[in-house]
Amino acid sequence: MLVVENLRKSFMAQNGLVHAVDGVSFTVESGKLLTLLGPSGCGKTTTLRCIAGLERPDSGRISIDGHDVFNSERGLFVPPNERGIGMVFQSYAIWPHMSVFENVAFPLRVAKGRKHSRAEIAEKVKVALEKVRLGGYEGRSATQLSGGQQQRLALARGLVREPGLLLLDEPLSNLDAKLREQMRFELKRLQLELGVTTLYVTHDQAEALALSDEVLVMSGGKVMQRGNPTDIYRRPNSEFVADFIGSTNLLPGRVEGAVGADGKGVVRTEEGAVHCTFFQPIANGAEALVSVRPEDIFITAPNAARSGSVLPAKVENRVFLGEVIDYIVRCGTRDLRVRAKPEQDFAIGADVALELYVDRCVGLRADDSRKTQIQT
Amino acid sequence: MAYSDSVQQTPGPSGAEYGFAARLGRWLTPTNVILIVCALIAAWLVLVPLAALFYTAFAEDTPYGPGAFTLQNFVDVLTDRYLGDLFMKSLIFAGGTAIVTFALGTAVAWVVERTDAPGRGWFHGFALLSFAVPGLLTTMAWILIFSPNIGWLNGELKNWFGLEKAPFNIYSMGGMIWALSSHYFPLAYLLMGPAFRVLDTRMEEAAVMSGANNYQVATRVTMPLLRPAILSTLLLLFIRGMESFEVPRLLGLPARIFVFTTQIQSATSNAPPQFGLAGAHGIILLLICVIGVYLYRRSTRNAEAFATITGKGYQPTTVRLGVWRWPVFIGIAVMFFAALGLPLFTLVWQSFFRNVTLPSFDAFSTMSWENYNIILHYPIFLNAVKNSVMLGAMAATIVVLFTMVMAWIAHRAAKQYGWILDVLTFVPIAIPSIIIGASILFAYLVIPIHVYNTIWILLIAYVTMNLPYGMRFTSSGIMQIHKELEEVAQMSGANLLQIFQRVLLPLLAPVLIAAWLYIFVLAVRELSASIFLSGPGTHVLGTISLTMWEEGGSFGAVCALGVIQILPLILIVMAMRWVEMRVGKRH
Repeated sequence: MLVVENLRKSFMAQNGLVHAVDGVSFTVESGKLLTLLGPSGCGKTTTLRCIAGLERPDSGRISIDGHDVFNSERGLFVPPNERGIGMVFQSYAIWPHMSVFENVAFPLRVAKGRKHSRAEIAEKVKVALEKVRLGGYEGRSATQLSGGQQQRLALARGLVREPGLLLLDEPLSNLDAKLREQMRFELKRLQLELGVTTLYVTHDQAEALALSDEVLVMSGGKVMQRGNPTDIYRRPNSEFVADFIGSTNLLPGRVEGAVGADGKGVVRTEEGAVHCTFFQPIANGAEALVSVRPEDIFITAPNAARSGSVLPAKVENRVFLGEVIDYIVRCGTRDLRVRAKPEQDFAIGADVALELYVDRCVGLRADDSRKTQIQT
Repeated sequence: MAYSDSVQQTPGPSGAEYGFAARLGRWLTPTNVILIVCALIAAWLVLVPLAALFYTAFAEDTPYGPGAFTLQNFVDVLTDRYLGDLFMKSLIFAGGTAIVTFALGTAVAWVVERTDAPGRGWFHGFALLSFAVPGLLTTMAWILIFSPNIGWLNGELKNWFGLEKAPFNIYSMGGMIWALSSHYFPLAYLLMGPAFRVLDTRMEEAAVMSGANNYQVATRVTMPLLRPAILSTLLLLFIRGMESFEVPRLLGLPARIFVFTTQIQSATSNAPPQFGLAGAHGIILLLICVIGVYLYRRSTRNAEAFATITGKGYQPTTVRLGVWRWPVFIGIAVMFFAALGLPLFTLVWQSFFRNVTLPSFDAFSTMSWENYNIILHYPIFLNAVKNSVMLGAMAATIVVLFTMVMAWIAHRAAKQYGWILDVLTFVPIAIPSIIIGASILFAYLVIPIHVYNTIWILLIAYVTMNLPYGMRFTSSGIMQIHKELEEVAQMSGANLLQIFQRVLLPLLAPVLIAAWLYIFVLAVRELSASIFLSGPGTHVLGTISLTMWEEGGSFGAVCALGVIQILPLILIVMAMRWVEMRVGKRH
């Protein structure tokens, strides 16, 4: 189990002090995979490097499996080589002067205290390589491996000591799209199989949603939202999260009438009244935003609309993608994105109606989102 | 211990709780301690001689060392009616050398990098080879070729054309410029070569596609892109010309052409020695060189903006010379023969004869190994070989290890203070070796550390002079190693020592070997600083060669001595090339 409490870290930059990590707290239960997700500069990598011990935080507490490795109150800082964490770097950092075997054996060879016998090392390396499906590659020069194989090698090296915590720093970002998808499943399989507590850092939301038990969305050094992938996608709590995870349409307006106990309410936008669901309390008349994803808008002929909030629109542009059609439609003064089934086929210039369903429209507090924008 | 500790710390909200002592304690991480130690050593090496130079220049000369404060030395220098002449001669010599060297070197660079002329690989090899030949020996060879009295080529030319007078006189400004240029043009080639290599031909192609003709492409695209390289090469060559000592000493003194370096050296060898005067001249020369280096840095600082390597798609294309391939080849080959072949041939030829002998088939019968025999049984010479090799090896080892640690600290562990080490180790670039020699002499005449007249004072000089080269090699080596390669070792449980042993040293090995060989060659070739610092028993190859030459015993013996020096140096340079190629392959 990993516990991070009120972690802070700032750097001197050219334009003054930058709070890279600004009071971040979270825990990762044993055997779970938590992803730190956010745009570059949001503090996710700094957080990871603080946990690794490669950066020294200004304050806070980090504990791994019940042992503090950093505690500013006690002045405790355990150096990274004594934390026993497995880590995979973005560049893989495969040592070019060592063979595949030597790369994986390295953590065992430099192990403090316990000396591993030759046979023990050979055995452990073999097991680690087989786990990542690189068995039989021991004698190869590390530089002869392909990108995907180097990635697996880096993983084997991180796992060979059977660490209590595995840190992955954008491990898939250097792979091409196809390989990335393949490795995503591979990583998930390994993580489940080994049950190792894992912290994953990425800016790729698809990766985060696919792999994680839980996602922590970060921005400006702060945690914006935490939840399982479905929650993060379905119930964003701010404009930033709604916009960063997937794509969304945002309609500004004002709350009309009281919001019910079930969170159902109405937002009056320029385009019309939209029924939506709020996940935070909001007052009658307050400024609000409605977030609705392109695939959650139903596009239909003007007089065929039956249910939900109906907005009139006109097709501005369309792209046929095979399994779906992407539309840009003009609704009032605003362009909205709509993703429709191929049956819902409308020509450019056609008048259409948009159906928006209350369950799929998320109401957000406008002030929150403005603040977020300034931070990012 | 984590070296990332020393990344810029800013007191967080709880930072105020820490007292000064606690914060100092936290700041004193092992890497910061190493940083301080390195900075102190580098500062001692670099700043102490400079301080001694200024102290000596502003003090009266007394038989007991520097005396009271005085400006007299500068008054003497500045009111000397030959000062203007000294300035002019120095500038003409250095400027002339820079231009001639640049023209020759750029021609070779263009042919090797951008054309399909035959023999390009050989030209590159020859250019490196000439690095192995000490300037002193080249200069001596030119005397044996173009001296009005004993120069063999002058003699031959007189015979062929029935001339009364020798057509060339090496003891002249033109002769000096030629002698130094023949020695330095490979340097210009090595500096301009990469500039041609990284010039993306697509930029030129884009100009052609925009409708420019060859001349317009050259003047509007190629030349402006190369301008930083041209400027910096010219400046560096000029500085090298200002610093050079061997040529002015052997050719300038007899012709009564004085430059700063010879002026400094003769002031210290006067009886009684005029250290103050030498110091004052030294400071003027230092100023010229500092300005030169400053301009050089400025011209290279923006070089990145001109970096035109564009990654994967980059394909250097060559100019097809067509019918000009062989004429161009012959032209460059003749140049190499004239600048490098002629002196080398002369040295080798003369080494088999006791007296100056014209190269001819008749002379073969009188060839003998006598000179080699004399040299190899000459104890002073053997001692000098031992000293040079030992000093070279020690200086190279110390510089390489010391600068490796410094480069690592500066670029990895303590980035925010690293510039201190960079600056300290760069300073000696601007100090001509003759001033380093003189200042170290001044310093250790005063400082009660007994290194004077031992080989240790030479070692101090060699280490100081070579700090910039060591730092350049090791910094670029370390910057090529991705930081994550070290971090992952740390995460794997390795401590600082293990990271050095198992990751950094193996990865840096080729660079360290190249740096070691480079510094070793420079140290073995060294003359201008050694001339101040070597004494009886501490002669090195450079000083013993000069002494033998000037005492006029036997030209043949000096040539034999030269051949004995050059052969191993050539082997080392070949080894360096080999290491370089291996490094090139790996990256």
